[in-house]
Amino acid sequence: MAGLELKSLHKSYGNVEVIKGVDLTVEHGEFVVFVGPSGCGKSTLLRMIAGLEDITGGELWIGEVLCNGVEPRDRGIAMVFQNYALYPHMTVYDNVGFGLKLAKTPKDVRDAKIREAARILQMEHLLERKPSQLSGGQRQRVAIGRAIVRKPEVFLFDEPLSNLDAALRVETRMEIAKLHHDLGATMIYVTHDQVEAMTLADKIVVLNGGVVQQVGAPIELYQRPANLFVAGFIGSPKMNFVSVTVEAVSAGRVAVAGKDMASIAIPARTDGLKPGDTVTLGIRPHDLSEESGGAIVGRVALVERLGNETIISMQLPSEASWLVVLDGDHNLSIGQNLALSFEPDRAVIFDADGTARHPDLD
Amino acid sequence: MSLVRKYGLSVLAILVSAVVFLIPFAFIIMMAFKDRTQAQLLDFSWPQGFHLWTNIVEVVTTRNWMLLTAFINSSILTVASVTLLVIFAAMVGFVLQRRKTRFNGLIEFFILAGLMIPPAVVPTIWLLQGIGLFGKLHGLILVEVAYGLPFSILLYRAFIATIPRELDEAAIIDGARPFDVFFRVILPLLWPVTVTNIVVQSVAIFNDFTNPLYYLPGNANATVQLTLYNFQSQFNTSYNLLFTNIALITIPPLVVFLFFNRQIVAGMTAGAVKG
Amino acid sequence: MSVMTQTGTAGAGAAAPVPVLKRPSPYPGWFFLPAAIIYGLLFLLPTVASLYFSLTRWTLFNSTFIGLDNFAQFLREPFLIKGLINTVIYAVVTSGLKVVLGLLLAVLLTSQIAARGYLRSVVFFPVLVSTVGVGITFTVLMHPTNGMINEGLAMLGIKGPGWLTNPSLALYSVALVDVWKGVGLATVIYIAGIVAIPKDYYEAARIDGATKLQNFFYVTLPLCRPATVTVIILSFIGGLRTFDLIWAMTRGGPGFASDTVASVIYKQYQAGFYGLSTAGNVVLFALIAVLVVPLTMLLNRREGHE
Ligand SMILES: Nc1ncnc2c1ncn2[C@@H]1O[C@H](COP(=O)(O)OP(=O)(O)OP(=O)(O)O)[C@@H](O)[C@H]1O
Ligand SMILES: [Mg+2]
Repeated sequence: MAGLELKSLHKSYGNVEVIKGVDLTVEHGEFVVFVGPSGCGKSTLLRMIAGLEDITGGELWIGEVLCNGVEPRDRGIAMVFQNYALYPHMTVYDNVGFGLKLAKTPKDVRDAKIREAARILQMEHLLERKPSQLSGGQRQRVAIGRAIVRKPEVFLFDEPLSNLDAALRVETRMEIAKLHHDLGATMIYVTHDQVEAMTLADKIVVLNGGVVQQVGAPIELYQRPANLFVAGFIGSPKMNFVSVTVEAVSAGRVAVAGKDMASIAIPARTDGLKPGDTVTLGIRPHDLSEESGGAIVGRVALVERLGNETIISMQLPSEASWLVVLDGDHNLSIGQNLALSFEPDRAVIFDADGTARHPDLD
Repeated sequence: MSLVRKYGLSVLAILVSAVVFLIPFAFIIMMAFKDRTQAQLLDFSWPQGFHLWTNIVEVVTTRNWMLLTAFINSSILTVASVTLLVIFAAMVGFVLQRRKTRFNGLIEFFILAGLMIPPAVVPTIWLLQGIGLFGKLHGLILVEVAYGLPFSILLYRAFIATIPRELDEAAIIDGARPFDVFFRVILPLLWPVTVTNIVVQSVAIFNDFTNPLYYLPGNANATVQLTLYNFQSQFNTSYNLLFTNIALITIPPLVVFLFFNRQIVAGMTAGAVKG
Repeated sequence: MSVMTQTGTAGAGAAAPVPVLKRPSPYPGWFFLPAAIIYGLLFLLPTVASLYFSLTRWTLFNSTFIGLDNFAQFLREPFLIKGLINTVIYAVVTSGLKVVLGLLLAVLLTSQIAARGYLRSVVFFPVLVSTVGVGITFTVLMHPTNGMINEGLAMLGIKGPGWLTNPSLALYSVALVDVWKGVGLATVIYIAGIVAIPKDYYEAARIDGATKLQNFFYVTLPLCRPATVTVIILSFIGGLRTFDLIWAMTRGGPGFASDTVASVIYKQYQAGFYGLSTAGNVVLFALIAVLVVPLTMLLNRREGHE
């Protein structure tokens, strides 16, 4: 059993604090994905777990062990790197077996483990090659083989697919998912790619500026983002935002209106809200539909017709720019007006400080 | 450029290069073939008779096989110094490139100082005497290592910068201790620059005259360059032998040149441009 | 649900042991140790010691502090001053010639000339040959009456000078041999510099209608400036420190005509004037610092302006 427990982890480079107190619990066997914009500290956090970066403050527990001062080799982890990091002078066989060799595993045991890993990853025919004789996908496979041969409790991946082409990325992604299923080990995975995050994760951790924004299941982050940042970060195209004023507050609903939008009542947590407050309304491009007499009217600025759907960039009266995704093909001309409506329970109200006011779940 | 001009220039270049660069070597070789009387004339003439073998035998056996001793000494000196240089410089280059500390600036200063400052000769002799290494081959080996380190470290550091750090980290995760990371992962990858280091430094140390002159006096300890110096007075009436000796000690650099020309040029230019 | 749940299992019950927070770096400092000991002991320590011993009258067993007397002597004795001046002349002449010839050779050897490989090899090989061997060979070739050079000149009807016997010529003759031996290194450095110039520049210049000469002055010369800096610095320092070639060819003679600081250091050492010899070392060190550091700064600053 090896879950992880991060307690108020901090990391500073000199005076610059890049991880600002991360608390996180990872259950055994969970697949956790770190996402966030470039430079937010995903890699740093992963490398702190790996033991490649010193921990400036806080505690890192892997299983029952406080790991702050523990060498990487004693943490029961394995790591797959973005650029594969295969040892160029060793064959695939030796690459995979290097860790076992260092651990002085007997030769026959080692051989059996290497072949087992090669079988799982279907790379038996590659064992005698040098890394330079492999394709990118094969290299990443070897890197994964090198990780699984050590039978770690925790796998760490830092953007393992970002150097692969699109098709191979999908394929390898599925393999990683299968591997997780088969091995049942804990996996922590860093990525830029939302699709990877949404498809692989049991739990996504959204980071921004070294601070955890939200932790939760993928669909939960999509449907109930905790704040403006998460709402804007998860989902593609990005959620649309507009500044509105509270007109009336009733049980479980807030009526809002603004320059761009006629009055509409949105389900939300209402405590502390009063008429006249300025809040932000968020609505996803896919949740908008064309309806004459809809609450929102804008001018079409750009149309992308993909056949199955139409992506429209729209200019609102307040000069705010929105994206709208309509099902099917729509022949719209630039400059024409378009009226839109949405289901009130699809919209999210955010406080001035960015916190979301989701209605309570029963 | 017209054909005539193009080939004209080439022919001119070949002729001039032959006169300037080849004739001196041809002269050495021809002198080595001559007998004593003909060599005495110092002219650029075809050898009368074949005396190379007798010359070689005489040069090698003179003064109780001094040249042979010298070749052995020079070989030990070169091999030992270069081995230590390669390992120690690679270790420094590795940590210096990988680990940024506040001492790096100081270390780099010492490296540049080592490239520029002429060694303080007599204090070094005084020091070697103090630790009992003056006039000893291993003392000279350490001196050559000390003088060669800055250049080798620069070569290694530049090359190590091209090896991704992820590789070290992969090894660390695989359970490698620092010693393993260096000797089992990094050092094997340094082979190209190690070859460069080996050839550049061996040629320099094999050809070194000044340091053996100061730190390794005595005929029993002579290195090949000193044999020339020692024989010069003795042979000033036997130019054939002097030039046979020169020809003999030119063979090792020639071999290196034939096999490692590319590495040596790469090393000298890379090191120079970085330094 | 989106909030973290504290399991509370981890470390529970443990009486809060003081956690080990620091791990040793994977790049251990002791890797510096062997190199640092050898370098510190055999290079740095003597260098520092030389600062003291240069102020003494010294027999290796005991030293008497005599202040700046050794340096005063250096500036008083004509033959010592001569050595100082010679050193600078030698460094300027050799590095100047190496820059000019090295650049010309490099341009020639990167052009579409026949037998390029042969020419490069022939120019570079002397770099690898024993300096003493070269010195002795040229001493013979430069023999005033029987030497091949003067015999060759005589065939052309020119009476060759006493290359190494004429006091006002000896130093320059040695410098020429130094250039002969060292120009190959300058050439390969320049070749590396020229080869690294992107072809675009020449193509752009061609479209602008540049002649070959203009190409050289407006493209090659400015763009291989780093190589020039390297060649100058390298050969200048080498020139200031030079000892073996001078010793092999003239031993500083005739008289003191071709003495340099390095040969003076050796002569004083042989004569047992260890303090004076060490002062020579310090003088050479100072000379290099005074000349090379500003030179480096000057060369690198101009580079920044381009
Ligand atoms: N050695 C270092 N010294 C100083 N700052 C660093 C160092 N390494 C990383 N940082 C800073 O820490 C922050 C987090 O870096 P990190 O590599 O973790 O980002 P990331 O989220 O992985 O980004 P990306 O998605 O681009 O990989 C960045 O702002 C980076 O500039
Ligand atoms: Mg990263």
